[in-house]
Amino acid sequence: MRRKISYPLVALGMVASSLTVASPAQAHGYVSNPPSRQALCAAGTVRDCGPIQFEPQSVEAPKGSQRCDGGVAQWSVLSDESRNWPARNVGSSVTFTWVLTARHRTADWEYFIDGTRIATFDGGNAQPDATVSHTIDLGKFPGRQRLLAVWNIGDTPMAFYNCVDLNVGGGGGGVVPTRPPASSEPPANPPAAPPAAPPAADPPAAPPAADPPAADPPAAPPAAPVTGDPWAAGVSYKTGDVVTYEGTRYQCRQGHTSLNSWEPSIYTLALWLPL
Amino acid sequence: MRRRLVAVALLAPFLLGACSTPTAEPPRATADTAVAEIKAGEAYNDTDVMFLQMFVHHQRQALQMTATAVERAQDPELRTLVQAVQATESDELSMIEGWLKGWGESTEVDTAPNLHAHHGGLPGTGPAEIKALTTVPDAEFDTAFLSLFLAHQHNAMELADIVTDGGKNAETKSFGERVKASRQGEIQQMLKLMAK
Repeated sequence: MRRKISYPLVALGMVASSLTVASPAQAHGYVSNPPSRQALCAAGTVRDCGPIQFEPQSVEAPKGSQRCDGGVAQWSVLSDESRNWPARNVGSSVTFTWVLTARHRTADWEYFIDGTRIATFDGGNAQPDATVSHTIDLGKFPGRQRLLAVWNIGDTPMAFYNCVDLNVGGGGGGVVPTRPPASSEPPANPPAAPPAAPPAADPPAAPPAADPPAADPPAAPPAAPVTGDPWAAGVSYKTGDVVTYEGTRYQCRQGHTSLNSWEPSIYTLALWLPL
Repeated sequence: MRRRLVAVALLAPFLLGACSTPTAEPPRATADTAVAEIKAGEAYNDTDVMFLQMFVHHQRQALQMTATAVERAQDPELRTLVQAVQATESDELSMIEGWLKGWGESTEVDTAPNLHAHHGGLPGTGPAEIKALTTVPDAEFDTAFLSLFLAHQHNAMELADIVTDGGKNAETKSFGERVKASRQGEIQQMLKLMAK
């Protein structure tokens, strides 16, 4: 994740020593909708993905790969078909939307199914717009498909790789796993994450308080407690709701769905007022 | 790097306001506690300053984008999320500007921070892209905003690496960890809204 920066106010030596110690994959972009495999990991929809969940924009590898992970061992989970990636139900015309964290000069955008290029969009070796979307007719490819979307950079030998699992002709919206949905329905006790990559959006593995809930946040936020129940992550709180956290009662000042680090504290007075 | 997310979850209760008064107990959040009371202490280095200056710029952009989205978001769930982001990041901005001023450091940067300038990339969000959010048709607004703001919050997590890796000040490093955790949580919610 460390990378060089350009910053005129700081002596170059300091920048070089502190920020370029290691410079692995540069992080720049991914397909957000229909969700690519890395987007599913980053959303927490598919769990235990390892470090890709923190940087879905980082699947960068030399041009020419046909692999979901671009051939990068660090991201090999993306090529693991045993993960039972949920497929998005789509019609025959599908619009792919990208998130670009750095807008590089672009050679082109390519879309493949089974190794065959089905669409390409010229980038003109120019910097792309902030929002990039491409609409493709997939009518000739009904049913379950694993589509590979590639962003080829114009001024480097690199490309960014995304696999998007689709159920073409399945209508808009919805998700159809082809097997029992082991990934989209996390088990009550998910396997322990690798030590270096805990799923940080879960309630902390080591609870910060004496009595926080240990369960994963449910897929859909439950009805919010209003009577001073313990604060929990993944709950939809409304203005006026009251929770208890570390022995203090707090009232919600701004509706939100709670997340890790938005627990009531001196740092989140914008959300929670101590009572 | 990632294991620090767990570390901060463990430490957070003990870090709250730990630097505001060296001898007293950590201040409790009370109804009249102001963000301005969160002090960063005197031990800091150039990386702390650099990160905070870059992040001030980044936060101001975020507040521009969220101000537009509060008015224009089509999905009520998105509007609620944006309002919460706006509220929390306004306080964050006040807090970190206060730290810089307390150190006698500028809150301004000469050039917009760009982590990717050395290899030809523009950041995800520049003035033109932020302004474009005010003119995109209503039907396209949520997708346009989410695309831009997802990139912006990914960039925030990248920026936070600077201070968690090289900072010295306990409050700025703790803030960097909270940035990573909160932005990751926001990204999860935004990706789910995007794929609705």
